[in-house]
Amino acid sequence: MSKHLLKFNVNGKDHALVVQSHERLLDVLRDRLGLKGTKEGCSTGDCGICGVLMDGRLVNSCLIFAIQARNKKIVTIEGIGTPEKLHPIQRAFVKWNASQCGYCIPAMILAAKDLLDRIPEPTTDEIRRATSGIICRCTGYLKIFEAVKTAAAQMKDDRQ
Amino acid sequence: MYVPENLPDLLQYLDSHQIGVHLIANGTDMINRIQRRQVNPKVLVDLTGLSEFRYVRKDAGVIRIGALTTISDLIASSIIDSRYEVFREVARKFGGPSIINMATVGGNICSASSSEDLMPVLLVLDAEVRLRSIHGERTMKVEDFVKGKRTTQLKPNEIVVETMFREIGPEGSCSFDKVGMRNSLIIAFVNSAVYLQLARDMRVAEVRIALNRVSGKIPQRAQMTERKLKGSKLSKQSLADAALTLRNELRLTSDFRVSEEYRTEVACAIFKRTLSRCIQRLVGEQVLV
Repeated sequence: MSKHLLKFNVNGKDHALVVQSHERLLDVLRDRLGLKGTKEGCSTGDCGICGVLMDGRLVNSCLIFAIQARNKKIVTIEGIGTPEKLHPIQRAFVKWNASQCGYCIPAMILAAKDLLDRIPEPTTDEIRRATSGIICRCTGYLKIFEAVKTAAAQMKDDRQ
Repeated sequence: MYVPENLPDLLQYLDSHQIGVHLIANGTDMINRIQRRQVNPKVLVDLTGLSEFRYVRKDAGVIRIGALTTISDLIASSIIDSRYEVFREVARKFGGPSIINMATVGGNICSASSSEDLMPVLLVLDAEVRLRSIHGERTMKVEDFVKGKRTTQLKPNEIVVETMFREIGPEGSCSFDKVGMRNSLIIAFVNSAVYLQLARDMRVAEVRIALNRVSGKIPQRAQMTERKLKGSKLSKQSLADAALTLRNELRLTSDFRVSEEYRTEVACAIFKRTLSRCIQRLVGEQVLV
């Protein structure tokens, strides 16, 4: 079992820690850095709940070895907004009551961030596709789609 | 885990450590396979640092895709224009965004199971793979590269660096489809790709058909059906005949996912669907099926 020095940036902060080969990114984020906002679901890449942004793109943190995140920029839900200053996507989710049990919502919000950073005015189809890898077992998808649309409109206003 | 800093280091390492070494790119299925005890690698070699193999290029009529190109990179490339809609068809059915952001073209080729969605497309595009070791390079057809389920021609000291295929000309078109338990992010019961080239009189100048299973558990060309179609004039009848030939050609098996009978029905149906989509792209109308 070999050890590695993992240097990476999480939510804007540089970290350097020693990780073992077999450690998953998900476990390092949750257990070593205490970022419990990233949830564990199926652990097999099917449910998308553990989604984080790696260099701006949504990935499943349960499928990635921690060392593979070396030199990357990771954003978790904790890096999106704070309780005092929510991100427009988070405000839109609140407005639409888009979160039911809440377990899939960190990944949903990060998926929305990945989408809106690339496509500021997405179609409904693009929103559906962008969130399609994440399973909400409360099945409240429609409000999630509406929230992403509202967030897109708000972010457009904010830019102008 | 061995994390090479650069290509010469990696090739040197592979040449001197040839036993129990598993190469991974972003490794979308490696953690799963270890947890299910399907593999027990002594050493994993992480290739993701070799960013020089992440590209899509076109030169002298050949499209070249670096092995570390993700499926997302591929469909975002300006080279992959509307003639290559087939790759967007693959991406839509391949998996959700978090998977296609990770899964690489090289990884899909090297996994060599029956479920890789990119493989039928590379087979019908008659693609080649370029392999590199410390001793040099060699190139072979994707078709010859995969020997059987989870076994390839890759030697322990080699890596796949690129796949390449000839550009699709204005007379050619290509399509892909897949059926599984859900629309995306699922292992296919059946997937199929068709490349079609038509002559002016609607005769089939060239046709290549590949399915994830034909007689074994790896993606293969359906050569009997190809021979049946080649040179024939496309009509409802010739299409129905081709589907019948395919039905006879397929040697499918039942497994825990689906029965042989159902798999055969679906294979014939999506073969007709992908072929008619190719025709539609070439002549611009829904002519058959």
